[in-house]
Amino acid sequence: MATVHLQADHSRFTDGVRELEVDGATVGAIIDELEQRFPGLGPLLTEGASVALDGELLPRGSIYESVGPDAEVHFLAPIAGG
Amino acid sequence: MTATEHPPTYKYIGTRPIRHDGLEKVTGKARFAADLDMTGQLRGAMIRSPYAHARIVSIDTSDAEAMPGVKAVVTGADFPAIDINEQIHDEAINIIARDEVLYNGHVVAAVAATTAAEARAAAAAVKVQYEDLPTILSIDDAIAEGAPIANPTNRTLFTGDTEPSNLASVGQFDRGDVEAGFAEADVVVEREFRTKPVHQGYIEPHACVADCGQDGKATIWASSQGHFMVRARTAAVLGWGTERIKVIPAEIGGGFGGKTTIYLEPIAVRLSQKASRPVKIVMTREEVLRATGPAPGAKMWAKIGATKDGELTTLEADLYYSNGSFKGYAALTGAMSIASYKFPNLMLKATGTIDNMPKSAAYRAPSAPQAAFAIETLVDEIADELGMDPIELRLKNAVTEGDPTAMGAPHPKIGFVETLEAIKNSDHYRSPVPEGAGRGVATGFWFNIGEQSSATVNLNEDGTATVITGSPDIGGSRASMALMAAEELGLDVHHITPIVADTGSVGFTDITEGSRATFATGMAVVNACRNLKKQLVQRAATMRGIDVDQVAWVGGAAVIEGVPSEGQDPVSLAEITAAAKMTGGPLTATASLNAAGAGPSFAVHLADVKVDEETGQVTILRYTAAQDAGTAIHPSYVEGQMQGGSVQGIGWALNEEYVFDEHGEMQNAGFLDYRMPVASDLPMIDTIIVEVPNPSHPYGVRGVGETGIVPPIPTLANAIADATGVRMTTLPMSPPNLLKALNER
Repeated sequence: MATVHLQADHSRFTDGVRELEVDGATVGAIIDELEQRFPGLGPLLTEGASVALDGELLPRGSIYESVGPDAEVHFLAPIAGG
Repeated sequence: MTATEHPPTYKYIGTRPIRHDGLEKVTGKARFAADLDMTGQLRGAMIRSPYAHARIVSIDTSDAEAMPGVKAVVTGADFPAIDINEQIHDEAINIIARDEVLYNGHVVAAVAATTAAEARAAAAAVKVQYEDLPTILSIDDAIAEGAPIANPTNRTLFTGDTEPSNLASVGQFDRGDVEAGFAEADVVVEREFRTKPVHQGYIEPHACVADCGQDGKATIWASSQGHFMVRARTAAVLGWGTERIKVIPAEIGGGFGGKTTIYLEPIAVRLSQKASRPVKIVMTREEVLRATGPAPGAKMWAKIGATKDGELTTLEADLYYSNGSFKGYAALTGAMSIASYKFPNLMLKATGTIDNMPKSAAYRAPSAPQAAFAIETLVDEIADELGMDPIELRLKNAVTEGDPTAMGAPHPKIGFVETLEAIKNSDHYRSPVPEGAGRGVATGFWFNIGEQSSATVNLNEDGTATVITGSPDIGGSRASMALMAAEELGLDVHHITPIVADTGSVGFTDITEGSRATFATGMAVVNACRNLKKQLVQRAATMRGIDVDQVAWVGGAAVIEGVPSEGQDPVSLAEITAAAKMTGGPLTATASLNAAGAGPSFAVHLADVKVDEETGQVTILRYTAAQDAGTAIHPSYVEGQMQGGSVQGIGWALNEEYVFDEHGEMQNAGFLDYRMPVASDLPMIDTIIVEVPNPSHPYGVRGVGETGIVPPIPTLANAIADATGVRMTTLPMSPPNLLKALNER
């Protein structure tokens, strides 16, 4: 299972939990699983977050990106540029 | 000057050919949107609100419509209603107001007439009746208890809140135990900082031409950082499908983040549709300053603790950023950009506010310069208090690969330490500080992004090549694309023509933002070239009548391996393209991707300044900028980005600010009063390119366009402190502000 790291703002949906193990073969599957466990969190992670997978910043919308069983997934605030 | 981790072995990458568009640019032949004139073209003019916040009671366009030469008038009623939950809502309302005007300069109507003078006269004849509403013009006003709502359509981002609010976004990033961290600190410093909104200051005002045909389709010539973005957002504002719009990228005269959005295009299309003639709209400089995106002003409090041996134990900060009249996540980005040091204990609170100033827009490493001003000032103060060399203190605490960012995610391979060492070992740092001067150093970080890009590479029948991409060239990216293609194909870079194609002629490509073009679009070019090389060796094998496994692409030719040498000389690219019609037809390849792994970039700047204590005037005696470029594809344009970012940061530090009156009217909407630095204000900006290759790019590229603007503000603040003993905490550090601080010493 991947280790998922959430920001402080996400933890209002998770009763304060910031780090947890989640089963999912893709980023999207992990978000779906988190939404199942913490209703309301899913849209925030889909629309309001950038994702780093094993430290690498993924492009926006990478819900089909494969996630390995020992992966570290960080949900971040949105990142853009100028 | 380049400080290189691994000496390059490339033939073309790292060289400095004259850019392909250079001659046209320096001879004035390059065509910008304002240069374009169409047969039967009309000129558009905007009617802008004189109020910072007001309800639109009525708009009477009858007199304007009756004036000579006037062919069309539009108001907000000519555009589809948009629900506040739609993604395009804010941009649509910013383009043309509906029920309320939200800042002074907000467009309420537009006219198209035969000449620009007729359009301006007609615009002046449009009668708008307003009902004045309470105005919010500062962060303090926005967050005050019981403050009036600046924009009734704003809902705080990512909270699910359904009530109007003056908060654009709220966030928190934390780790460790801040209280315990401060308890173990031997030195603690804290200050409050304030910065004003500043403009990107691109030379070319926003401009476009739109031509809407009888078939209901429109062609737009536009200056932007992304013509696919222009197509998508114009279509969304108009309620059209994208198939109805083709956008042709004009040359762009600077963007720096300010052209990642649209202001004119939907209005030009609607006017053209109504008048059945092409319509050109060109903003004046005053319109650019009054109504296009400044970088946010900020109010920041920060506190840092350190042990007596210089270990930074704790950072606590509360950051407020003004988003202007529409929501955004500037404050969150500002907090996340604090990523240079290994603070084991950290608490960052970030709040974006809404007010009645123009909608803020991205500006080179958006939100990072403000936060760096606060953090790098305090880090410098810690070094001062401990009597440590400011670079040694930073080296002691610098993040390296695997260390967490503010958000917790680990840094990938980065070159921060190498960049600090490049400055430490520079001639500038080893030289004594000039008598009577002060020296300052500061660092900056920027994420960089990847995103979607497409490229097509066509080999021409004479062995030359055309590289076609969808990334507007705002910093020399044509040359970078050509250099990467030259390296791949083994083809002289001057035999490659790089083209930025319109939305109908190349695959979708995201905006040129986030320092992504050379990284992501460059990777698409490399992938297309690698596809072509496979085709080339296949064609060579066909020509020689041998198996493709016996052919390799080496040095720009197909080399035959494992067969007798006689009669098996390498097959040149030109020979293969000349024979293409006999071996399978034209050679072309397209690649597209959604790029991950944009390597972050760090910069370290160093300045010597002299302060005139009678006037408060700061003179920069010497300035050196070092930055990790990963691999410098075209070093001249990397240096140009570093110098450009430095100069914009210097202007932000020393002079630039939006000045509003109490009604929210900008008082310095022109370059005489909005003082940007010019060449005579500046010394030569010396550059040191550091190359720690990004493992996620085939040539190691990191974006270089943005990081250079992050360190200048604290670099100069620290130099001023060294020269005068005064820590400046308010921008700009202009003569009046600095003189006031000196007198209060």
